Amino acid sequence: MEKSDEKLVEEYLDGEESSFKILLDRYTSHIYNFSKRFVGVEYANDIVQEVFIKIWKNIENFNVKKANFKTWIFTIARNTITDYLRKKKMVSFSSLDKEDETFADNIEDEVVLPNEALMKLEDKEFLNNLLDKIPAHYKEVLILYYQEEMTFSEIGKLLEKPLNTVKSYHHRALVLLRDMVHHN
Amino acid sequence: MEQNLHKLFKPSSDNKESKLSSDIWNVIESKTTHMTKQKTLFYLSIGAMSLVGTIFSVKSLIEEFLRLGFFNYLSLIFSDIGVITTYWREYTLTLMDSLPVTSLIILFSLLFILFISIRRVSYKFRRKFSII
Repeated sequence: MEKSDEKLVEEYLDGEESSFKILLDRYTSHIYNFSKRFVGVEYANDIVQEVFIKIWKNIENFNVKKANFKTWIFTIARNTITDYLRKKKMVSFSSLDKEDETFADNIEDEVVLPNEALMKLEDKEFLNNLLDKIPAHYKEVLILYYQEEMTFSEIGKLLEKPLNTVKSYHHRALVLLRDMVHHN
Repeated sequence: MEQNLHKLFKPSSDNKESKLSSDIWNVIESKTTHMTKQKTLFYLSIGAMSLVGTIFSVKSLIEEFLRLGFFNYLSLIFSDIGVITTYWREYTLTLMDSLPVTSLIILFSLLFILFISIRRVSYKFRRKFSII
């Protein structure tokens, strides 16, 4: 049976160096794909390396009571990407977080993206272009939810936003995607 | 729709991740080795300094014991136990008064630092050999 992340962290802190390697192998592709969406292929490697060095340096501060390991490392990845974008004077996640956060949509997501829109989105390049055009925090929620298969609750912890806000971001992102597909 | 979106967001692998993982591991290993060396060197120097300090401190402690007459008072136990039992309170106070407290505190502090340094260095060595 596969060991849990938390167990591996515990083992690493007890002196079992190879446990960190397992965690590294387990999450490299996740962090790489997440970073790639925001900084592009050419800088994703540097971001991933920086993220894992930070994890390695701060692993003693990981508190299982506060968040699970996946949420924790994605928080580090998000902060690293934000720092990178800030240095490059590109738009960061946080600068886009200012708008209304209390709005919670009650519309079923099922009707937001009809089948014809989904078919158009099957073109990965087209989807990536659309994702680059929507606000970063919407994009982030979509990627964490659909690509990284996190729950809304986990995303909420990562973004430090209430559950309804995350659901609202998710819904708005889908509406935006649908509108953009129509306009294209 | 949900399942379709999960499929759509599935990233296409460009095979860079597999090499990336081992590259990062190499960087971490070299950083670990560097850090271990630095820490071991630090604790070795602290240990060596505290060892030298301990030697000098023991020497000065013996001198202090002799100067304050601690051994003379102590030898009374073997020579005249009757007087000691009668005036045990006064004797205890005199004996305590002849203790070189400052030198003792310095010696114990140095021994504590030496012990911590030895523990840290031996821990680093144990971890190093357990990896090999």
